[in-house]
Amino acid sequence: MLSLSLAWRNLFRNTRRTMLTCMLITSSLVVIILVDGIVIGMVNVMVGGITQTLEGEAQVNRRGFRENFESELVLDDPEEITRSLKRDEKVRSYAPRVIVGGMIASSYNTTGGLVYGVDYQSEQQVSKLKQAVIAGQYLSGEKREILIGRQMAALLEVDLGDRIIITTAQVGTSDITQELFRVRGVFEFGPEELDENLAFINLAAAQSMLDMDSQLHQIAIQFHDAQDAKNKALPTLVNLNKGDVEALGWLDLQPSIGGMIEMSNYASTIVGVVLFVLTSLGVINSMFMSIYERIYEFGVAKAIGTRPWQILSLVLIEAFLLALIACAVGIVIGFLLSSYFQTHGVPIGRMEVSGVLLDGNMYTQVRAYQFVAFPAYVMMLTVAAAIYPAIFASRITPSQALQRAL
Amino acid sequence: MTTVIETRELVRKFGSGETQVTALNEVSITIRKGEFTAITGPSGSGKTTLLQLIGGLDEPDAGDVFLSGSNIAKMSGSELSDFRRDHIGFIFQSYNLIPVLSAEENIEYIMLLQGISAKIRQSRVREMLALVGLEGMGDRRPANLSGGQQQRVAVARAMASKPDIILADEPTANLDSKTGIALLDVMRQLNQQMDMTFVFSTHDHKIMDRADRLVHLEDGVIHLDESRSV
Repeated sequence: MLSLSLAWRNLFRNTRRTMLTCMLITSSLVVIILVDGIVIGMVNVMVGGITQTLEGEAQVNRRGFRENFESELVLDDPEEITRSLKRDEKVRSYAPRVIVGGMIASSYNTTGGLVYGVDYQSEQQVSKLKQAVIAGQYLSGEKREILIGRQMAALLEVDLGDRIIITTAQVGTSDITQELFRVRGVFEFGPEELDENLAFINLAAAQSMLDMDSQLHQIAIQFHDAQDAKNKALPTLVNLNKGDVEALGWLDLQPSIGGMIEMSNYASTIVGVVLFVLTSLGVINSMFMSIYERIYEFGVAKAIGTRPWQILSLVLIEAFLLALIACAVGIVIGFLLSSYFQTHGVPIGRMEVSGVLLDGNMYTQVRAYQFVAFPAYVMMLTVAAAIYPAIFASRITPSQALQRAL
Repeated sequence: MTTVIETRELVRKFGSGETQVTALNEVSITIRKGEFTAITGPSGSGKTTLLQLIGGLDEPDAGDVFLSGSNIAKMSGSELSDFRRDHIGFIFQSYNLIPVLSAEENIEYIMLLQGISAKIRQSRVREMLALVGLEGMGDRRPANLSGGQQQRVAVARAMASKPDIILADEPTANLDSKTGIALLDVMRQLNQQMDMTFVFSTHDHKIMDRADRLVHLEDGVIHLDESRSV
């Protein structure tokens, strides 16, 4: 008990130095908490950008379809798949789609693009198409309505209600077919690639135009628990992967995003390691200064019978208490800052990463482990950093330390 | 009387080659229980080195140190720590109290190392403070005590562990002569009341006069060893 009391009092012999060292440890902890929160926030935005915008958390396609959207590669028996998805408790929603490449023309201009035939009701549960409409209205189920991207609208020089002709090849016969649509709405997902190249019509209209009956090209899925999409052994996906049918989670659909996430995690680890190294050096320096100031006192303590391990433990307890104060403050500051940026965001401007638009603010994510695990790491590392100075103190030779007296 | 300290042909050299200095040269001395011995001599005569070797704070290049019958030159580091804790009390020139602990806690510290129960510690702290005339000042930190009072706390600390001997290196060097003599009187009183063995170094004649044995060192050799009646 006296050791604890002694260690505590020793910390405040030089209050300024203790406070500066505390600030160093506290700052590192706060930065680690914020960086981790930002990385999680960024990953969530990237994953959300992929899974919530259009792709869904998982997709069922005919094997090879996603390579070049070959319209012949259809899901022959979509009803069996949708029945299975309807029964599956893990699946929150799914949206059937027909996707075909074609020429999209207005009275003034022509462009190539991908035309999505979607069920306007179920699509709302899977993608952000409805929320992305910035002019006009979302699909209502009428045969000749079409939604086009903001940039496509600019390219085609069309406005709401204007006519658009889609020219494409029918499935099976490859006969050229043309259909007239009227612009019901203009959407903006954000990434240029989507806003310039995509158009959405109703599923029935698409199937009729392509002469597909009830066949589909794709079924996009959202789960109740987003983590399920990353589970390759998930029965939902495993059971659907039969013959020519391929069911994949977003990590397999977008492997580049998986790589980005892994890289983000490495970045977080590297920042953490650099900060911990700098903090450790600060702690070592501070502990050595404190020991050199008291070298005579350690000599006395050893002379009167204090064992080396008792000196060692005293210095380690001091480091532990130092870390305890710093972490207590760091947890409070880290929580306040992280919570603030979770609500108000960190301004990052507008940028596109791997087809995902990061726009405006990056919102940090507050997680319980950031306030448990990180302080625990910081405390362990602070104590570990004090081991070297503590060993030095424990090895002080009384006769040398006491040269000025006995 | 029982022999408490016995040194046999102690040699201690510092440095090497041409700069080597022989601090002690075959010093043999026997100190019996209850003696109040002053080690005297000019600066550099080897007083501190002799006390360091007797206290197990340094190792001799040759010779043996027997303390209460144990040869401390043959002890390992941990054995020596425990031996110092249980058998030797130290008083240092510059008081050397732990500044963040109160007078009571400074005295109690060594008993904590000995694993003495809290009840006995408390009672012995009170006893020691009374013996050195510092009743009611136990809660003061060293910074709030005068030099003489701090050195009395150091004496109380040295005695708290009930050691066989107390070694003091120029305990009055930092005190004015009146306070120094008062401190020596306290030490002398404890020596007589409790039959405690004291060995202290000094070059102050007023202090030497209070010792009942004088050991005079010059150039690491004993030049005079005389018992006196005080």
